[in-house]
Amino acid sequence: MTAETLMLAGGVTAFLLTVYWVRSRDLREKYALGWLAVASLLLLLGIFPELIMGFAERARLSYPAAVLFVALTLIYLFSFTVSVSLSHLYRRTIRLTQEVAILKQRLGRLEQQLAERTPPPPPAP
Amino acid sequence: MLNLLVLPAFKEEEALPKTFAALDRHLPEGFELLVVNDGSPDRTGEVAEELAATFRLPTHVVHLPVNSGIGVAVQTGYRFAAERGCYRYVIQFDADGQHDPAALVPLVEACERHNLDLCIGSRFLDPTGTGFRSTFARRLGIRFFAGLIGLLSGVRVTDPTSGLRCAGPRAWSRFAEFYPEDYPEPESLFWCARNGLRVGEIPVTMAARQGGESSIRRLRTAYYVMKVTLSIVLDRLRRQEAQLA
Repeated sequence: MTAETLMLAGGVTAFLLTVYWVRSRDLREKYALGWLAVASLLLLLGIFPELIMGFAERARLSYPAAVLFVALTLIYLFSFTVSVSLSHLYRRTIRLTQEVAILKQRLGRLEQQLAERTPPPPPAP
Repeated sequence: MLNLLVLPAFKEEEALPKTFAALDRHLPEGFELLVVNDGSPDRTGEVAEELAATFRLPTHVVHLPVNSGIGVAVQTGYRFAAERGCYRYVIQFDADGQHDPAALVPLVEACERHNLDLCIGSRFLDPTGTGFRSTFARRLGIRFFAGLIGLLSGVRVTDPTSGLRCAGPRAWSRFAEFYPEDYPEPESLFWCARNGLRVGEIPVTMAARQGGESSIRRLRTAYYVMKVTLSIVLDRLRRQEAQLA
């Protein structure tokens, strides 16, 4: 098996996986776009291996090193995006946690006021 | 207008009653209390509710549903103040008995007299030199932050990590929106200094902790120093907020 067929297989698998997860609503379309781009890149490099060979030659890298470089770039970009999304998510969670806590306190106060105002129900006969 | 005392509390079921007893002796009318129970697994929440029900001054208790860290707990106090809209000064006060309640009125008076936006209770200005001043390594860290803040903002302080601080409306209304989630004191102080808010200090005496755990454990110290340094240096790169300067 050559590197090209491996990339082709990887690209096809990535496509199928992405479609499958979006179909079952486990992956947001927003992220699916990124993953489809990765799958397309793999397919492209599988069909036209000279793309990466040309890049390797111009960058004076061996073929495996060039593949590694591309892969690491992708992994870095992906992880960084995940870090940023996590930070957003963290901020939102904090805000919601605080709002819930404050609202609960207000609710407790209102309930107490209400209980003080309403006379106790007459005892059952 | 009223002043609000915010007591962030995580696992303080033992220290809280003593803290309340001490506050009872020193707090005049015109103060309200807010205990922010930071998702404590022990009975802190129940103890706080019991104390609040019988305390001489109006006392509120807010329970964060999950443990979220000191910065988030304190910020909940600022948000609470923003929502209620009836407070002038919001004072952060540790629930663990480290802080001296006798310093609270002087803190507010210092803010009023010198028109300060943030007044810090500093354990290093105490002329008698008594009281707990932390370990040598930690004092070194505190001096480092004081130097860094002085260098980058031109504002001299002696105790940038002190958790006893009184914030005026200009400071706390902003803290209600943005506040560092962990180790918030030096960074929020730097933010005030950098944006032209008036920062001051008064001497206070601090005690060693009465119970509970210090939020800064030995293994985390390196992370603490690096995280706060990075936060301060990066905050220096942000634009000054025009409406405040």
